[in-house]
Amino acid sequence: MAVAERSAGSPTRPAARPSWLSRTLGGLAIIRRSRTAMVGAVLVGWWIIAALFADSCIISPQCWVQGSQKAEATPWIARYSPFEQFRGQTNKPPSWEHWLGTDRQGRDLWARVIHGSRTILTLAPISVLLALAIGGVLGLMAGYFGGLVDEITMRFLDTLLAFPQILLYLVIIAALGPSALNVVLAIVIAGAPGIARLVRSLTLDVKTRDYIAAAKTRGESPWYIMFVEILPNAKGPIIIDAMLRVGYAVFSIGTLGFLGLGLPPPSPDWGSIVNAGRKFILAGHPWDALWGSLATASLVVGLNLLADGVSEEMNRYR
Amino acid sequence: MSEPVIDVKNLAIAYETRAGDVTAVREVTFQIARGETLGLVGESGCGKSTVAYSLVNYLGRNGKIVRGDIVFQGQSLVGRSQEELRQLRGDRIAMVYQDPMTSLNPVLKIGEQMMEVLTIHQSIPKEEGRARCIDMLRQVHMPVPEKVMERFPHQISGGQQQRVVIGMAMLNKPALLIMDEPTTALDVTVEAAVLDLVAELRREFDTAILFISHNLGVVARVCDRVGVMYAGEIVELTTVEELFANPRHPYTQGLMRCVPRLGRGKDSSMLYPIPGRVPSPANLPPGCVFEPRCDYARDECRQARPAIREIAAGHQSRCLFAEAIDPHGWRPPADQVALTAGNGHTEGESILNVDGLQTYYAHSTGILGFGKKEYVKAVDGVSFEVPRGKTLGVVGESGCGKSTLIKTVIGLEDMTGGKAEFMGFDITQKVSKRDTDTIRELQMVFQNPDSTMNPNYSVGEQIARPLKRFNVVPREQVRDEVIRLLRAVKLDEHYYERLPRQLSGGEKQRVGIARAFAGRPDLVLCDEPVSALDVSVQAAVLNLLLEIQKEAGTTMIFIAHDLSVVRFFSDYVAVMYLGQIVETGPAEAIYDPPYHPYTESLLAAVPVPDPNVEQEHIRLEGNVPSPLNPPSGCRFHTRCPRRDMLPDGGAICERETPPWRETGAGHRIFCHIPLEQLRELEPVLHTSDEG
Repeated sequence: MAVAERSAGSPTRPAARPSWLSRTLGGLAIIRRSRTAMVGAVLVGWWIIAALFADSCIISPQCWVQGSQKAEATPWIARYSPFEQFRGQTNKPPSWEHWLGTDRQGRDLWARVIHGSRTILTLAPISVLLALAIGGVLGLMAGYFGGLVDEITMRFLDTLLAFPQILLYLVIIAALGPSALNVVLAIVIAGAPGIARLVRSLTLDVKTRDYIAAAKTRGESPWYIMFVEILPNAKGPIIIDAMLRVGYAVFSIGTLGFLGLGLPPPSPDWGSIVNAGRKFILAGHPWDALWGSLATASLVVGLNLLADGVSEEMNRYR
Repeated sequence: MSEPVIDVKNLAIAYETRAGDVTAVREVTFQIARGETLGLVGESGCGKSTVAYSLVNYLGRNGKIVRGDIVFQGQSLVGRSQEELRQLRGDRIAMVYQDPMTSLNPVLKIGEQMMEVLTIHQSIPKEEGRARCIDMLRQVHMPVPEKVMERFPHQISGGQQQRVVIGMAMLNKPALLIMDEPTTALDVTVEAAVLDLVAELRREFDTAILFISHNLGVVARVCDRVGVMYAGEIVELTTVEELFANPRHPYTQGLMRCVPRLGRGKDSSMLYPIPGRVPSPANLPPGCVFEPRCDYARDECRQARPAIREIAAGHQSRCLFAEAIDPHGWRPPADQVALTAGNGHTEGESILNVDGLQTYYAHSTGILGFGKKEYVKAVDGVSFEVPRGKTLGVVGESGCGKSTLIKTVIGLEDMTGGKAEFMGFDITQKVSKRDTDTIRELQMVFQNPDSTMNPNYSVGEQIARPLKRFNVVPREQVRDEVIRLLRAVKLDEHYYERLPRQLSGGEKQRVGIARAFAGRPDLVLCDEPVSALDVSVQAAVLNLLLEIQKEAGTTMIFIAHDLSVVRFFSDYVAVMYLGQIVETGPAEAIYDPPYHPYTESLLAAVPVPDPNVEQEHIRLEGNVPSPLNPPSGCRFHTRCPRRDMLPDGGAICERETPPWRETGAGHRIFCHIPLEQLRELEPVLHTSDEG
């Protein structure tokens, strides 16, 4: 019987499982193979670097959510503090002194846009991760347990989905007041139902596989099956979806800022920069609005390209 | 022989891949004459379908013919444009695929689809076309053809769909019919009827048929000549009688030793798997392609690739030593020990007692589930027991409830009624409510090798999980225990780190077995563990299960739709039909008269890989009734071919539930026909020469 199925033709090389590090690098290789993903990665990468090295205040969370308040921080990429007002320099067009010009209060627009990326790159991923956690758990439960659990969860989430998203934001922020926390909360509440639907449909598919039945016959708990057996097999589409959702979140935060429901001033928020500059467009000073919009657009487009490229490559090697 | 319909000469086909061209088929040469059926057999990946697709120029964008010629009715098909090919072939080549639903358009009525075949190639008036379609449906034995014309494909059964597809293929009276595994997706009784139909149509229409199958039994039933394919080459080509009586290639011989003979059990016969694996087409051995797995390999075999040559009139083989290798002189390798269970039929205490088990699925009609509840009676009143250390085989066609039965026993499905006791413990609740000890003692091996393992975890992690969960060994010994289990299923230590996608189907199934046996269970339920595997791998996995069972004394329930495999593997057999057991008893008793009429028809339908075995011709009529509303009395009465043995044509069968008739030795038959009459029935299988 020892002859039964000799192992593969060649003298078998020990196919060791790649380490965590090399698997991550392998994942990055996917991005390199796709030109779409590469363009996206460059755009997103620029904003991440800009946010990280805007000034020397890298570690304090205060600098990230509210914009820098510390006077002692040395500006790096930003060149100036986003709050410093230059006398007699209001509403100036781009110049050597102020690369992107100044706003109506004489603040440097380059500094404000660069610092604005900090807020957005903190709030958008945080809110998507939270939405992912809540929506993911709800979706897993609805899909795995089925029946009444499914029915109740999904009908509740359908109710949330029935509201136009912008209306939902307005209601939530109007009720809770504008603040960073409430912006995150609004995006989580509006985003979780969609994620739950996605995770539920993936769960429904994976739970019919034999290895799930095998886990049940071992008497594994439902939580073990959901998180250890099902979730890893659904991760691909979830990751792609999350990347797109970060893009939407950037958009939403921008919208809220524009409507004055985002971060309270004087935070350098991209949405509020556009809003502040809106009145001066026809007066021959479109710079505030232009830079704010361009910043938002480039980040959203970058995230979308990245997600598209990665999902294309992942499907190709399925 | 007159001019062949199709003449394939030295054909080679390659597929373009990222790593360059990979030759999938080499040096394939065959002819098919009018009215002749040529079979191509081989395991998955041997290139048999590629050959078929090349004949209809359907190789896909990356496939191309690199050498050789295909001559169809005197004209070459190679190197011509699509349009030229269309005109040359016209309606003269037809193809039938494995899954009938891929050939039928679900939104068109069957009549419309059939008429289209006629009107596209010929200008035939509508009325005449219709008449010809109805005529064809009658020829493929569809009941009430006029009505079938008005139905949609989903409204008829799978077997009927395949008949319609075959009918459509025959409508234009093609010169060549290519059938690619036409019965693989069908149940045995349906398969038997479709094969009868193929043989009948060939006689009537004088068509040349290229019949592709992985099943030696099916080929033995319908073909005149057979080509055996291995790794892209035809290694042996001869008449079907000669092939089975006197195979002259080591691969053919090996294949035949892998298949259990119907009626032979594990205590009187053995399976001998072919060692090794099929080489990948990109990495073939330099000499004979079969050399690395061959028992007769010598130095000459490694030097150059042997050519196929005529070793006797009409018998070709691609072996240098074809004359010297006598299939009857073959001896099993010394290291394959006899696996006979040995302990005969000594009645042990029974480990599992099931009494009147029912599994119903609620199915509500009406809007939002508020209608009347109906029940699909998947398993309805099944009773059996399994003695310790023995194997109970459960056979039946798809939908008979065999899978539901073991899923209920293991606790994946809710038990609607009845009693079940395992080693004295009540197991009527679902698995989530059972205590860990009971869970550990009851484990399961699954059917589909591709989904039996979680693709995210390594082999080692997956086998280690039950060890940790059931505390089989102390934590620090888990790794050693996993390696011991891997060795027990004949896998090396370095499989520990591998991921499922790096394994072949047979290897995945072995890991599934190791995982099931990790908790040292007393009862293992096997749900068709080998039906998705190639025959040579199947033999190895069956041997492995027997060996582990013998070592550990495990009790098993073994489900399969293949009667030969069940007979080979089991000590006791239960035959199921529509949620009920109709016959049960020791394995050898089931396969000889007296039979239940259903068992008899199953045995008559099994394709036997031996043209010398004569089978009684019994074919079941009609479809399996719906388990939503099973027939009254005896559930088999709607299709029973033996009803007329009873007074007034078996009126009693419709009214009353049949009694269990005992023949002794635990053999019971669920039938109204008295045993004396059942005993008088002829055995289904006769062997013309004792072998």
